[in-house]
Amino acid sequence: MGPTISALMSILLHLSVILVFSPFILGVIGKTKAFFAGRWGPPVVQPYYDILKLLRKGSVYSTMTTWIFRAAPMIAMAAILAAGILMPFAGLKAPIQFWGDVVLFAYLFGLARFFMVLAALDTGSSFEGMGASREMTFSCLSEVALFLNFTVLALISKSLSLSGLIGGDVSLLWHVLGPALTLVVISFFLILLCENSRIPVDDPATHLELTMIHEVMVLDHSGVDFAYILYGNAVKLFILGSFLISIILPFKTQNVFMDTAVYLSGMTGLAVVIGVIESAMARLRLNRVPYLLISAVILAVFAFIITLVRGGF
Amino acid sequence: MEIWLDTALILVVLLGLFMTGSNRLGAIIQIFGLQSVVLGIVPFLMYFSKIEIHIVFVSLVAIVLKGFLMPYFLFWAIRHVSIRREVSPLIGFGTTLFLSGLLIAGSFILSSRLVFPGPAISDFIIPASFSTIMMGFLLLISRAKAITQVVGYLVMENGIFLFALLLLEKTPLLVEMGILLDVFVGALVMGIVVNHISDQFEHTDTSHLTVLRD
Repeated sequence: MGPTISALMSILLHLSVILVFSPFILGVIGKTKAFFAGRWGPPVVQPYYDILKLLRKGSVYSTMTTWIFRAAPMIAMAAILAAGILMPFAGLKAPIQFWGDVVLFAYLFGLARFFMVLAALDTGSSFEGMGASREMTFSCLSEVALFLNFTVLALISKSLSLSGLIGGDVSLLWHVLGPALTLVVISFFLILLCENSRIPVDDPATHLELTMIHEVMVLDHSGVDFAYILYGNAVKLFILGSFLISIILPFKTQNVFMDTAVYLSGMTGLAVVIGVIESAMARLRLNRVPYLLISAVILAVFAFIITLVRGGF
Repeated sequence: MEIWLDTALILVVLLGLFMTGSNRLGAIIQIFGLQSVVLGIVPFLMYFSKIEIHIVFVSLVAIVLKGFLMPYFLFWAIRHVSIRREVSPLIGFGTTLFLSGLLIAGSFILSSRLVFPGPAISDFIIPASFSTIMMGFLLLISRAKAITQVVGYLVMENGIFLFALLLLEKTPLLVEMGILLDVFVGALVMGIVVNHISDQFEHTDTSHLTVLRD
């Protein structure tokens, strides 16, 4: 019974950390931005309040829309949560892992995005169609970079499951392949900013501007559906962020709670960094965004070359 | 120590990449200065166990001349002709970035085929110097503004400098100094030419130089 129960506990801890702490990261980003703007800002738990408030509200549906519009937020959130199950962090094993689950991981996000885009097109609004086309344009560039980064990590760790890529002894590799890993970290950070529509790519704070990408696709969603979308986005940021943190902070003590604490402070640090970037930078002009993503691709290519030269293949 | 040398060399290539993707002349010049400073540190990392006076001298001259004096001079030039941006490059920024990625990969492939007779210090130096030279070439041929072309020329020289570092123990100091002086004078002359272009024609777009006019 003993090992089973501890495994069950570990899975419960894993899920509860993802489910509970995700909106907290958004709160930290908001607080950082408020600090830089000289405001007091909403409390750190504001995203929880927002989601709870939306959950108690009813939804309004346009008569133009079909079942896709209603199903998309649920499918998107479910896909993102399923991706979370594949993600190991802080010494906690991923509840599900198998050979090649990186591909599933990437395309669960792809599925979520696909349905959000379909829902945006379903509304028949040209405004949302524009947002949808932009979202797809940028994501097809960031996907290339994402897979190149996975390739580098797979070469280094000789594994094709997420638990092997980042759950192994990354700390040892920093001594040998530090430069390559640094490039992967920078490239992945750019992908993270793009995928979560943070500032150099998209401005999550604006709601009615012609330049926005992600926010425009969810304009017609309301109430419970919108709560699902917000929560799904928070979890997505959390999962991609924890991928990054697992590479940057690979230290593992044997104590699970200690590891989780280190990991969560790392995540908070990441949120502060994102907040600082959002305060210090302006959003890139739309036609400059592809350059940012191309540089993410090239950084990954460069990391790949270095790994090939240095990794002894 | 080797990992710091690797990091410095990768930084040099990355800064070169950044230059090919940036459209602000000010940023390009600043990054060039930074690249030169990093290059100036590389000899210390390469020969850290046997630092001699002429190694220190080459480093210091490279840092002061290319890291500070040249950017200062180029800034003076862009203030004088008051241009800030590369508006219409001959090859677009995305394409240039993509091409430089290919060039970097090509340099690594090329240098893996070359056998360098001499002490094996780091197998990143030759590919890094090739990539820097190639990116200098790319800047030179893809940009329309004369100042960006000057920077491209200087970036190319940075690559040559990096390659020459491998021979630092054998080349006489005079040759090194000669190269640095050449470049400095070259940049000076080009700067003057650029300013005269702006006095005469009110822009520094070199493609207009092919058109004859009174």
